[in-house]
Amino acid sequence: MILILKNNAGMLIGALVAVVLQALVAPYITIGYAMLNLIMCYVILMAIIRANKQGYIMPFVLGLCYDLMSSGTVGAMAFICVVLTFVVSRIYSMLANDTMLIPVVLITLGCFVGELIYGCLLIVCGLDVSLPEALLYRMLPCGLYDTVVSLVAYVLIVRFVFSARSTDTMQVIR
Amino acid sequence: MDLNNSEKSFIDIRRIVLIVALIASIISMGLYTREGDDGFLHRLQSSVHTLIAPIGFLSANAGAAIDDAGAAISDATANEETLSALRQRVAELTEMVTQGEEYRLESERLQGLLNLKETYKIDGVTGRVIGRNSDSWNQTITIDVGSDQGVEMGLTVMGPSGVIGQVISVSPGSSDVRLLTDPKSGAAAMIQSTRADGIIRGSLSGTLYLENVDADIEVKQGDVVLTSGLGGSYTKGLLIGTVVRVEGNAKDGTRTIIVAPNEQAAVLEEVIVVFSASESTSFTSNPQSNQGSAGNSDESGEANSATSGEYNPPEGARNEEDDL
Repeated sequence: MILILKNNAGMLIGALVAVVLQALVAPYITIGYAMLNLIMCYVILMAIIRANKQGYIMPFVLGLCYDLMSSGTVGAMAFICVVLTFVVSRIYSMLANDTMLIPVVLITLGCFVGELIYGCLLIVCGLDVSLPEALLYRMLPCGLYDTVVSLVAYVLIVRFVFSARSTDTMQVIR
Repeated sequence: MDLNNSEKSFIDIRRIVLIVALIASIISMGLYTREGDDGFLHRLQSSVHTLIAPIGFLSANAGAAIDDAGAAISDATANEETLSALRQRVAELTEMVTQGEEYRLESERLQGLLNLKETYKIDGVTGRVIGRNSDSWNQTITIDVGSDQGVEMGLTVMGPSGVIGQVISVSPGSSDVRLLTDPKSGAAAMIQSTRADGIIRGSLSGTLYLENVDADIEVKQGDVVLTSGLGGSYTKGLLIGTVVRVEGNAKDGTRTIIVAPNEQAAVLEEVIVVFSASESTSFTSNPQSNQGSAGNSDESGEANSATSGEYNPPEGARNEEDDL
């Protein structure tokens, strides 16, 4: 158990930070009615960065945290986080190469599809709005906002975290 | 060989976890949708809101500081055109305040003539906004008054110059308020001039729509919309907003009435939870008994000018002047 926690410490700290930021920061950095879904962004990023190792407990718990902090249907975001983790990590494992294209495409699609499914689930669960209205005022703006932030975060992680790790590895090998 | 086995078992476990997580999410969604507001998941959600609300209050202050800084920069860089527009607005508002004062005095005299011993007033509890919703699909706020202060589910919540929403969940020290602009909200309303009933609905775009108004009723831009109290969900006679646009034709059922809320909940810091909007000797201040029965406050125009001791909401004009 301790070993698992130790191996995943970075990921768990990141998850905790994502939850805290979602609760405290996201409501105050809205653009129009588009609010950032940091939890979903984090889940997508982890599905790409840890494609082969990523489990489903963390996405489920994070999604559940989002559902409980928001006023939406409990279980909806948990469902989406688990599905996104499964699909994104699978596709990335199959298509991964050294280019940035695959991660960029997966992040973009993941954010938009995630927001789209979430909106559809809320409508199915009783939210009284039309799909075009939801698409125009929430799904697309939120998807765009999530995509931009996720892409910036991905570039920063690859640039600083991965480059730092590879430098350390090189020094150990030498 | 061992490595293969352990790898295999890891994949099997992942698959099992995936299936369990998906089933658990679907069951949660089903339960949440079917259960009422008192259901386990709703109460759990409400408890989480209560837990994070105090922490949210800190970031709310930080957010307000950022907004203030933005406003200060905007004020400092205001050009001559803006200043002259503001001066003109102040002059208009001063005139409106004077006129309002005249009406108030006139109303007092009329009430004296009618031997009305009691004046209308708002009985409620004032609370501070300590949190906002953390997702973009719901427009709710958390306030720092709850059941300990007498707040109950369904009570109307007002800002300084108009209705902003309704209490949807209560805990001892805080309450969640669904804003009028939320797509899930709906308030029985009426047009002040014609007394025509309708329903105010929110939308994802933040626009308020007045629906179900009789096709024979003429609705004009500038008509004032109040809560009607029908159904008992909102206290009667409180200001919601003004009709800003009427689109389509009432005869063919395409009429859309757009209402601008009098209160912008996004910038609110303090609100009042309304127990009753009017009070007479025959009424008690029990929140439940006065829900929907507090009538006529709009007719006299006195509801907002009465002295309640806890809250003295200004007329719309006075509020706008303060903003300037």
